[in-house]
Amino acid sequence: MSSRIGVDIGGTFTDFIVYDENDNKVIIDKIPTTPADPEKAVIEVVKRNLNKEQLSNIDFFLHGTTVGLNALLERKGSKVGLLCTKGFRDIIEIRRGDRDEMYNLFWQPPPPLVPRYLRLEIEERLFANGKVHTNLNINDVKESCKHFIDEGVNSVAIAFMNAYSNKEHELLAKKTLIENGFKGEISLSSLVSGEYREYERTTTTIIDAFVKARMSNYLDTLKNSLNDIGFKGSFLLTRSGSGSMTFDEASERPFETIMSGPVAGAEGAGELSRKLKNTNMVTADVGGTSFDTCLILDGRPQIQFEGKIVGLPLQSPWVDVRSIGAGGGSIAYLDDGGLLRSGPQSAGAVPGPACYERGGKQPTTTDAAFYLGMLGEGKLASGLQLNKKLAEDALNSVGSKINLSAFDTAKGILKISSANMADAIREITIEQGIDPRELKLLAFGGAGPLMSNLIAEELEIKEIIIPPYSGNFSAWGLLGADLLQMNAKTKILRLSDDALTECNTILENLFKELEERQKIDFTANEKIKEVALDMRWMGQEHTITLKIDDHSDGKINLDSETLKQNFMKEYEKTFGSKLDTVVEVVSTRASIRVNLPRKSESGKIEEDNIEISSSTISCFSFNADKNLEFKIIPRNEIKSGMSGPMIILESTAVTYVDENYNINTDGLGNLILNNKEN
Amino acid sequence: MSSELHHYKCGVDRKSNKAEVDPITTQIVRNSLNSAAEQMKRALCRTAMSPVIYDVLDFAGAIYDNHMRLLAQAPSLPLFMGTLNFCIEEAVKGVGGESKLNEGDIIIYNSPYGTGSHPQDAALVMPVFFDGELIAYTAIKAHWLDIAGKEPYSTDTVDVFQEGTVYPGVKLYNKGELVEDIYKMCIANTRVPNSVAGDINAQAIGVRAGERALKKIVAKYGLKKFRDTTEAIFDAGEMIVRNYLKKIPNGEYVGSGQMDSNGVEEGTVPFDLKVIIEDEKVILDMSNAPPQQNGPINCPLPSTVSTARVSMSMLAGSNEPPNEGFFRPIEVITKPGTLFHPISPAPCFLYGWPALQAIEVFYRALGTKFPENVPASSGGCINGIVWWGIREETGEPWADGAPHPVGQGASHFGDGATCLHHAESATRFAPAEVWENRNPWLINKVELIQDSCGAGKNRGGLGVNFEFEMLEDSFATTVCERSKLPPWGLNGGLEALPNNCFLMEDGKTNREVPKATRVPIKKGNKILLQCGGGGGYGDPKERDHSKIIDDVKQGYLSKEYVNKYYPDVKL
Repeated sequence: MSSRIGVDIGGTFTDFIVYDENDNKVIIDKIPTTPADPEKAVIEVVKRNLNKEQLSNIDFFLHGTTVGLNALLERKGSKVGLLCTKGFRDIIEIRRGDRDEMYNLFWQPPPPLVPRYLRLEIEERLFANGKVHTNLNINDVKESCKHFIDEGVNSVAIAFMNAYSNKEHELLAKKTLIENGFKGEISLSSLVSGEYREYERTTTTIIDAFVKARMSNYLDTLKNSLNDIGFKGSFLLTRSGSGSMTFDEASERPFETIMSGPVAGAEGAGELSRKLKNTNMVTADVGGTSFDTCLILDGRPQIQFEGKIVGLPLQSPWVDVRSIGAGGGSIAYLDDGGLLRSGPQSAGAVPGPACYERGGKQPTTTDAAFYLGMLGEGKLASGLQLNKKLAEDALNSVGSKINLSAFDTAKGILKISSANMADAIREITIEQGIDPRELKLLAFGGAGPLMSNLIAEELEIKEIIIPPYSGNFSAWGLLGADLLQMNAKTKILRLSDDALTECNTILENLFKELEERQKIDFTANEKIKEVALDMRWMGQEHTITLKIDDHSDGKINLDSETLKQNFMKEYEKTFGSKLDTVVEVVSTRASIRVNLPRKSESGKIEEDNIEISSSTISCFSFNADKNLEFKIIPRNEIKSGMSGPMIILESTAVTYVDENYNINTDGLGNLILNNKEN
Repeated sequence: MSSELHHYKCGVDRKSNKAEVDPITTQIVRNSLNSAAEQMKRALCRTAMSPVIYDVLDFAGAIYDNHMRLLAQAPSLPLFMGTLNFCIEEAVKGVGGESKLNEGDIIIYNSPYGTGSHPQDAALVMPVFFDGELIAYTAIKAHWLDIAGKEPYSTDTVDVFQEGTVYPGVKLYNKGELVEDIYKMCIANTRVPNSVAGDINAQAIGVRAGERALKKIVAKYGLKKFRDTTEAIFDAGEMIVRNYLKKIPNGEYVGSGQMDSNGVEEGTVPFDLKVIIEDEKVILDMSNAPPQQNGPINCPLPSTVSTARVSMSMLAGSNEPPNEGFFRPIEVITKPGTLFHPISPAPCFLYGWPALQAIEVFYRALGTKFPENVPASSGGCINGIVWWGIREETGEPWADGAPHPVGQGASHFGDGATCLHHAESATRFAPAEVWENRNPWLINKVELIQDSCGAGKNRGGLGVNFEFEMLEDSFATTVCERSKLPPWGLNGGLEALPNNCFLMEDGKTNREVPKATRVPIKKGNKILLQCGGGGGYGDPKERDHSKIIDDVKQGYLSKEYVNKYYPDVKL
């Protein structure tokens, strides 16, 4: 009961992976994404790898998609109407008053998802504690309902002030809309998020309403198509906040999937870390346009509870993967001060790097790496032969303006982009009070293994892990996604034993809501309840989320004094400073995790055979600061005890191993690069 | 002395000869320094105790070299950032000079004539040593909720001594050890001791985070190379601003502004400022200002210099985070004894308000000749309100305060948005639900004001009405400038609705309180804060009719307004 398919739709490619428990075999594949009808590429890639009978033996279909995100990016979603509290229809437009580009005098915020004439005010009001100040005016709702129907609104978001503490008014408004003939989707802020901050919660509810129809249509179509070709198992979709959810739940709560793009990679990293006895690591996922990094502590990626996507806030759990615009396609240029820069502009798939011979003229990170010899002979798996002369011309077009040779420009581009990546890692690690030197670097994505030595050097990290299928690692990560549901509620309480009793009451409700949200039918599997509290010193705004391990079936066993001590320890670890005043609990968090049947521990790794025309290449060594002879070796010929300088080729990525690294393998299919100086 | 003009060069020159440095390392060090400043900010925000810091971001954090030249700053409050070199200089003087500095020291400094701010804006300054040598400073200036002035916030002080406790540069940490005596003084001199204790702790965490990050960078490259590189970073920054100024023809451009009152006397306080472009240099001549005032609208020199740094680096800085080099082509001329160069102990609690306005008046001056380069006037103020009282149930003191967004001026590039003032461009105001959890009030509305924008080819951003209803007796100090000088249009664009603030008592009487101290607000009474709109850009006749029709559909504009300002449009 553990055979599974993973399909991850990216901007350029749709990645496919299948794990078959019978022969322990893994197959990977890749197909161009079909943006207009993303399910087409999915079906195509499934069909070309599995016949009907094979497909009928698969238990799970695990999916990552950008359908929701694209709806937002392209602003193609439902026609949404907003019902809000009188006096607050403009909060989504006024926002919080800040500028995304603080030094830009002329900055303009993205236009709100709901135009003002569809934002209707209802007479009603709750106090912060949930008590009613003014009853809901049913007539206002009825009139709004008529207005929405007349205007052709097909999805309504209801977001009332302080509804996070009492959902009655929102539920009543929903009921009234339905009774008065509204047929479309309805999203309630109190069900989307139990947390305060009206701008953020309202926007999240609107996003949910905006993408819901498109998402559920897509998921239905995909489900039917897969059933048609013989799939009989369960359908699961990646959540932004890690884990996965059933298609049914995803259709109900699509906002939970919006930020799921880079999650699969982080999940894969988490699974790998758990296999390596919870080794703490930081990821370096370098793709064509972006660098994504995520901190893995105690075997899990870190979760945040409020994010931002295309300029809009999203009040929903998301795996803390930070991105910067630095990837293989990032364009290098000179800024107004005459300094060399790399990214965030990317040459994308078209025209792509100059050396791809598709008309690109500007130098990219790929051009620089290829010019230095880091990509070997430059023969790609697709058969494309990179053009060195074009790379050189592109490098010269920038370098000559500041008297740098193509060679020095190329070195510079790699150093600058790897330093930017290292800075991003520094920020996420130091924020958690972690010294990056204590971590291992897990490098994947098309250009991650290429950049890994340089990033590790910047951060003084001693050990680099290159996972199997490193270029397709995100799809691999999908296979490990357990089923997960999360729920939370803001109620600010001064920490005491009484407060904990109240937390337990809240938890009971949160878990009850989760059970009602979806009936999970994998009855054979254990449901694991997890509890966490957002805590802070009274007066602070920012909280630390403390995972509570000592609970019985979701009921906290600790007394308030022990909990306070735990919080103080965590605070000191994170900020290096001690305080001792009143502690507050801000939000209470509940989650249910249902582990999928485990894959076999020793999945058989089958790396493609790579043909190599030359066994060595003269390539720049950043450690020696001069060119050295690098061996070129296919990944499936690597054995423990080898060492750099070496270029390792596999079908989806190239690993650059400088002279100062030893190479080992670990039986799990990973390559381990150890800095010789340690 | 008062008749002599004071010239101030906003950026410090090279301190060593040009060395061979490669542009690659320069870029990497520049990014790492910005990242180090960012780490300071994150550490501060996540540990601060008052919303003014963690939510409003009413602070600045930056790293300076030992010549007090700006290496990098975290995105935070621009107006503060331009003052930190003065804070550091005076803080070091306060403890007796460089020779008295030790590794691990943290100095607290808030003397208004050295920080440029009111005493609540307290700076923590940490010297950074590398191999025993003083190489840099990290500094954070942040707004404390209360520092025991005559009120938590005032618009009517008559000298600086009424404005708060002064820490003239004393060590809060000595060689890493907390100086208990000083700390106790800090905690004793505030109405909200818990909040101040927490914020001091957060500021110390922040400057230390910067120190650690900076030392790592220096260790990596070695001191010599680090210094050569930073010189190159400054040179590159200088070039960005010079390249912009090069495109503007030489000339003198005058703009005028006006303060509603000086806070203690009736009567407006008008002023003229001059922008002089001279080759690749810009001189901001602020010497023709009125004499220093009896009320607290005087702007001490550090903040005056900051207006020049902020306005010009936002205009000419290519949207980049500035460093010392950006400031080199900028010069400021002031006249001691005037509004923009007052002499202590003239009151200066509201220093920020003439400063905010000066930034827009510089743009106004340039706009007379180069309208495409600058925006029209915004609502022109941060419309600050500070609230306080004693909670009925617990007897605990509370205080809170925030800036509020205004309509932004339209420009050549498009309509104006609704945001906080340029000078507070990274700051935010708190969500109503957070406020209602914390303070004894209900917020009845946060809504755009119909017709509040200036008309034009591109229209200004709309202003915002905030209505607060108090659930317990409390006090407020309000500071809304520009209630008498409406936001101006540009290049034929028209004026917008100005700011104002009203007290609504017993459900009927409306009293104007745009600039008032310790206004008692009884339970059930309300404050209506009217944040103005942005001025228009270009001739209203040129506005696309479909945009005007849509503005009416959305309720941004009324039909009456359209009939008046866009009479050609058929609705």
